Amino acid sequence: MKKKVKIKVSNLHEIGLLIALISVLLIFGFSTENFFTQRNFMSILRSASYVGLVAFPMTFVLITREIDISVGPAVAWSGVFFVILVKWFEFNYTFAAFIVLAWGLFLGYFIGIARTKLMIPTFITTLALWSALRGYSLFITEGRPLAISNKPFRYFFGGDVLGLPTVTWIMLMVFFIFWFLSKYTVLGTNIYAVGGNPKAARSIGLNVDKIKIITLMITSMFSALVGILFVARVSSGNSTVGEGMEFDVIAAVVVGGTALGGAVGTMTGTLLGVLFIAMISNGLIHWGIDPDLNKVVKGIIIFLAVVINSNVTFKKNSGNKEE
Amino acid sequence: MSILKLENISKSFGAVQALDGVNLSLDAGEVLGLMGDNGAGKSTLVKIIAGNFKQSSGSISFENQNVEFLKPMDARNKGIEVVYQDLALCDNLTAASNIFLTREITKSFGFIPILNFSKMFQRAKDIFKELKSETLPEEEVRMMSGGQRQAVAIGRTKLSQAKVVLLDEPTAAISVRQVAEVLELIKQLKKQGVAVLIISHRMPDVFAVSDRIAVLRRGKLVANKKANESSPEEVTALITGAIESA
Repeated sequence: MKKKVKIKVSNLHEIGLLIALISVLLIFGFSTENFFTQRNFMSILRSASYVGLVAFPMTFVLITREIDISVGPAVAWSGVFFVILVKWFEFNYTFAAFIVLAWGLFLGYFIGIARTKLMIPTFITTLALWSALRGYSLFITEGRPLAISNKPFRYFFGGDVLGLPTVTWIMLMVFFIFWFLSKYTVLGTNIYAVGGNPKAARSIGLNVDKIKIITLMITSMFSALVGILFVARVSSGNSTVGEGMEFDVIAAVVVGGTALGGAVGTMTGTLLGVLFIAMISNGLIHWGIDPDLNKVVKGIIIFLAVVINSNVTFKKNSGNKEE
Repeated sequence: MSILKLENISKSFGAVQALDGVNLSLDAGEVLGLMGDNGAGKSTLVKIIAGNFKQSSGSISFENQNVEFLKPMDARNKGIEVVYQDLALCDNLTAASNIFLTREITKSFGFIPILNFSKMFQRAKDIFKELKSETLPEEEVRMMSGGQRQAVAIGRTKLSQAKVVLLDEPTAAISVRQVAEVLELIKQLKKQGVAVLIISHRMPDVFAVSDRIAVLRRGKLVANKKANESSPEEVTALITGAIESA
């Protein structure tokens, strides 16, 4: 039997990204005073963690050739909803969290059913939700934050544990779960199969619709979770949080090597992408660049990432196209 | 004894009569070449056997039992497998993952079922050996040649120990060297007692492996005879309608 030495393309991308990540770290580290501080690293990790929690399930969504752009408003509404439940209806925190997460699952189910039964592209459904959820959050709160007072909840979920932000621990745990799912389970293989060739997957008896619905449900549930965690962080249900978060999430996933056309992507890549985006956002602030220009830079980065993805590394990797 | 028997199968799509009273049977270890022009009803017939469509009238019996296939899984569960023209492969998965798709072998990791890669790789390796193919189980399909891709698709049918394998245009769009490879795969299936139905446009390939040739024209079966009693010229005439039937 012939033996060939091969470096998997996905690994190549991850190695490249790791090098880019370290370079960016060093550049910011040596060009600014306060970048290399523990305080700042905690800050980077914290913002990366919120993005990461949605980015891992979003990786699956993109692999199956779908997208969810309602993340930011879904996060805001989930937080507002959570506070409404505990403040206005006096639910206990655990029960309220349970309802909000269930609501997240339902939201994803709705997006999935619209996609698979009514043939409405996920981009359109989530675009509609993007507007509706933000609008309703603003309406019901009249644009004002709804404060909560529960200190243990705020200090634990909004604070630090064992030297790292609590949310970072949660994110690392979730990363591990998704990494495991993608590599070692039937569901993971099925998700890649659906992205690789949906028509084929369907013809040999895979329930393509079910898999798409599952990935969308998980993603919306994690948006809801981030909404609750944000409440702990800012001590209130706030209709304006998570603005532009869908962009950071999708940018991180794409920078991490997941193809927008589906089929290709890894959780490790997404983790690196999340850290990369968080580090760039943070470093540019340390450089004293205007936050509005920060967005321009992120725009350029996501564009370049897609160019590199589709033209260099993954040229042969995008799989056959169906729908 | 025939393993698969179609009796008086008709199928219409609205006003279009795609199949009209087709009778056809298939024996174990037999290779049947099904020929016909575009739109003659070949694909419709295959899709009925595979459970994609339900016939408008007529009956199918499998191993002497009347069967009704409402969905492809019903046919697969009986042991009827289709290798589609596009092979239905996921380029981003390994050969083994493609073979085991929807039929993954798992083992338990604590209380969580996880994929048993070593078992699947070993089984896939055995299947390729049986098919005398040099395909590597752990290689991604997108790196593979046409012949190897066909081996993966046929490998799926071996996994389920299919009794009937339908091959839709197995030699279209691949190089000459690979055609030989694919024909060899078909011969291996036959040797193992599998009933094979090939749909093809390529006359020499069909004659190279088929025991029997059936010809469809405008939804009607116009010929069903031993390959060595027919000839490419006769079949061509049957397909075009120069000869009414044979």
